[in-house]
Amino acid sequence: MTAERLIVAAIAVAVAGALITPLASRCKTTAGWIAFLVTLVSAGLALSAVAMVLIEGPSEHPKAFWAMPRLGFDLRLHVDGLSAIFVALTALISVPAAMHSVRYMHHYADYGVAHYYPFVLLFLAAMYGLVSTTDMMWFFFIFWQLMTIPGYLLIRYEYRSKASARAGMRYLVMMQIACVATMIGAEMLAVAGSRVGDAPGLKYDFATVSANLPLVLAQKPALAATAFGLFLVGFGIKMGMWPFGHVWLPDAHPAAPSPVSAMLSGVMIKTGVYGLLRYFVWLVPEGALPDYPMATWGAIVALIGTVTLLTGTYQALRQEQSKRLLAFHSIGQVGYILLGAGACMALLASDGPGAREAATLAFLGATLHVLNHGVFKALLFLNAGSMLTATGTQDLNRLGGMWTYMPLTALTALVASCSIAGVPLFSGFVSKWTIYAAAIQGNPHAPYLAVCGAIAVLTSALTLASFVKFFGVSFLSRTSAWVAQRARERRAQRPTGSSSDLAGSLEAPVSMLVPQWFLAVLCVGVGVAPAAGLSFVTRALAVSHDGLGAILGRALGVQASATLGVATASGQAAFVPAVIAGAMGLIMALVWGVSRMGASRRRADSPWLCGYADEADSNRYSAHGFYGEVKGLFTAGRRPEAARKGDADGPT
Amino acid sequence: MSDWGLALRQVGIAAVNVLCVILAAPLAEGLLRKVTARIQSRQGPPIIQPYLDLMKLLGKEDVESGETPVMQRLAALLAPAAVLTAACMTPMGLRAPLGPWTDVVVLVYVITLCGISTLLAGLSAGSTYSLLGVSREMMAMMALEPILAVMLIAGSLQVGSLRLDDVLSGSVYGSGGFAWSGLILLCVMALAFQAMVQRMPYDTSEAETELMEGPIAEYSGPKLAMFKFAQMAKLVVYGGIAVGLFVPWGSDGPLWLAWPVFWLKLVALIIVVTLIAATHARVRIDQAVRRYGALLAVALVALVLAGMGK
Repeated sequence: MTAERLIVAAIAVAVAGALITPLASRCKTTAGWIAFLVTLVSAGLALSAVAMVLIEGPSEHPKAFWAMPRLGFDLRLHVDGLSAIFVALTALISVPAAMHSVRYMHHYADYGVAHYYPFVLLFLAAMYGLVSTTDMMWFFFIFWQLMTIPGYLLIRYEYRSKASARAGMRYLVMMQIACVATMIGAEMLAVAGSRVGDAPGLKYDFATVSANLPLVLAQKPALAATAFGLFLVGFGIKMGMWPFGHVWLPDAHPAAPSPVSAMLSGVMIKTGVYGLLRYFVWLVPEGALPDYPMATWGAIVALIGTVTLLTGTYQALRQEQSKRLLAFHSIGQVGYILLGAGACMALLASDGPGAREAATLAFLGATLHVLNHGVFKALLFLNAGSMLTATGTQDLNRLGGMWTYMPLTALTALVASCSIAGVPLFSGFVSKWTIYAAAIQGNPHAPYLAVCGAIAVLTSALTLASFVKFFGVSFLSRTSAWVAQRARERRAQRPTGSSSDLAGSLEAPVSMLVPQWFLAVLCVGVGVAPAAGLSFVTRALAVSHDGLGAILGRALGVQASATLGVATASGQAAFVPAVIAGAMGLIMALVWGVSRMGASRRRADSPWLCGYADEADSNRYSAHGFYGEVKGLFTAGRRPEAARKGDADGPT
Repeated sequence: MSDWGLALRQVGIAAVNVLCVILAAPLAEGLLRKVTARIQSRQGPPIIQPYLDLMKLLGKEDVESGETPVMQRLAALLAPAAVLTAACMTPMGLRAPLGPWTDVVVLVYVITLCGISTLLAGLSAGSTYSLLGVSREMMAMMALEPILAVMLIAGSLQVGSLRLDDVLSGSVYGSGGFAWSGLILLCVMALAFQAMVQRMPYDTSEAETELMEGPIAEYSGPKLAMFKFAQMAKLVVYGGIAVGLFVPWGSDGPLWLAWPVFWLKLVALIIVVTLIAATHARVRIDQAVRRYGALLAVALVALVLAGMGK
């Protein structure tokens, strides 16, 4: 059994599942559990492929499964370390999302599941295929369309809603543009390659294109640059890069059902990152380095990444709809990944002392952020989905005090918010730390990286602000009239328990809680033991031998310490969460002891507002009121109006 | 030195730092009050008054106004714990206690954690005033945290290392002892320091006369003591970082000299902070946000210069 066969089996299982689930679609629950089982088996196969690649190393050559040589049409798959990272991510997110779907789909009274589960499974199959095919043309097209069209149908799942239909159409058009751009780029490289080079093999295979690439780069630099530019545009559209991401992503993610949003944001947009790394780094052989303007491409990607993370996150700050807010953060977080990838490429081009190590560090940061963002963003979308089924609204202004009503969901939302905001001891911090360390250490070789890193720190603060709002106003603050009403309704449906005790009454069912907790444990695990996460991507890199990836694999990025902490290869930066957690834990115990010394009594009371605190819902401080001064900061020309509007709408 | 020997020594230094901050923070506050009183031609409270205040608060009734008291209790523990952990990462006349296991990036985020605890406190208290304070506090953090980060990054670019001991030893001036970027950052720090330690004229998020202490408006008893202490300790820890980054002179002497010199510099810094706080009126939040933005822009320019080694 090879890893490639396992992936084909995973794809086949998912496609077979897509054919079976419509038969059971009369009962939403049965269809849901069937789809979950199919996803589980498929993920099991995919993860064993990943394990096989990481432990035994990848197979030497791609495996051919279905050939039509006359057309240059050949299903060849190859799972190397880079593919393994993305296969693992897909498998890891698809299972919780499928389990969450089972009860979530009951939320749609007017829509069946016959046009849900089959598409989810096809979508899943396509992602496994897309990150392991070696064909730049035919099978790239097939898997891309297999991902795009079910994705489109899932985004417009509520097809009677005009907004969903419009969001779906936008997604479809943008994805087709991306597909065409990427395929034109591939055609250009392949044709030019077959003219100037004479490497045998299929015209559109990675191996052939890669073998011909040094000659293409040397003889037709303008054509090669155009092709790579088209790749950047194509994959950039997919991953939500500035300026393309702002067109489709913020509409598409909120329109889809929440588990699909989790897949879209956690996994699908990452296939763009995969494409970027595969085409820009893995496709280019080491011999082509002198003719390949790697430093320029790295600078472009890093700078676009910085713009993406700042604009995406800044726009997220203005959002008051939960899933739309999360969607803008997807753009922002992709910016971090792009910054890491760009820094990696820029540093790879330099051969100064320490540049290669910093490049590897940047690569590790970028790919670990791919995994981390997949996990915590999927968790956040599942949280938003649980909140949506419990309260029936995405509007943060109507929410408040939900901690009391859904404490188990609240705890996972807190973990996810801490992770995305980069709080130490949670997963997001680990990858951000790696990217910052790479940017600072790489600055002597690419002097814009430190500034990009500083802007990333600024963005991290904006992210924190946004999640203070997201988590604070929905789970903390005070119970809103809307939430109280929903809680009473829910309690009335269940005769057990006293009607006055509403605590926990909106809690999500077990099948929705288990996926959330699974993902939350992953967030904390990577946060406390960064060596585990970084070792995974380091190992994946070590078993990737193609192109410039081999150079990255030879340089040492991080050293793992016995306490599960990490240090950069140069030893100039270190992060050992166990020590920080230990110190903070001890100090907290000390502080707790001191705070109990006075033996003061505790009393619960309502907050002070001249006695009007519980009088009206408008006496609460809602999401709209947050950060008025910052929201108006960059609309310099319109500042007076913005300020006046802020005053009229309440305190800021 | 063996790993365990090193660990033991660092733990010892950490204990010294924590103890010093616990003892010095209320004293610094007392000094601040005394100097302010003298400027206003008042007698002022005795210098040990903040200790007495804190002790008195420990015995007072603890009213929990929010719907999630768990979060309020956590926030009250986290606030001093985060500041003291930051104290364990700052060299205060000795080496940085957690130096071998952390770096400046971690320091920036641990300091953010102090802010986060205040935000959680305000959010879970549920009062309109505290949420208004949270919004303001967060807006200040958005600019001030990156400003601190830029200073530390500039320092680490100059010395080519992110280690706390390397960076927090006057690194912004570069190896040559003078750099334009360091000078610009010094000016930025002089202007931003009041805001970082939330003193007048930039105490917009607490603003007693306006928001009634903002995020901690609803707190009383031991919880208020914890938040008050965290705020006092913040002045000392931030002061330590500022002294380490910008006023390294005299710290490379022998231990018996370096340690007292560090604390003398810190006291001098606190007196400067007090003089500014006592003689300026609070700015409005929109003015403050715009000033922070301008300072951040200047700091980024300095970072570009630092990247070029200038």
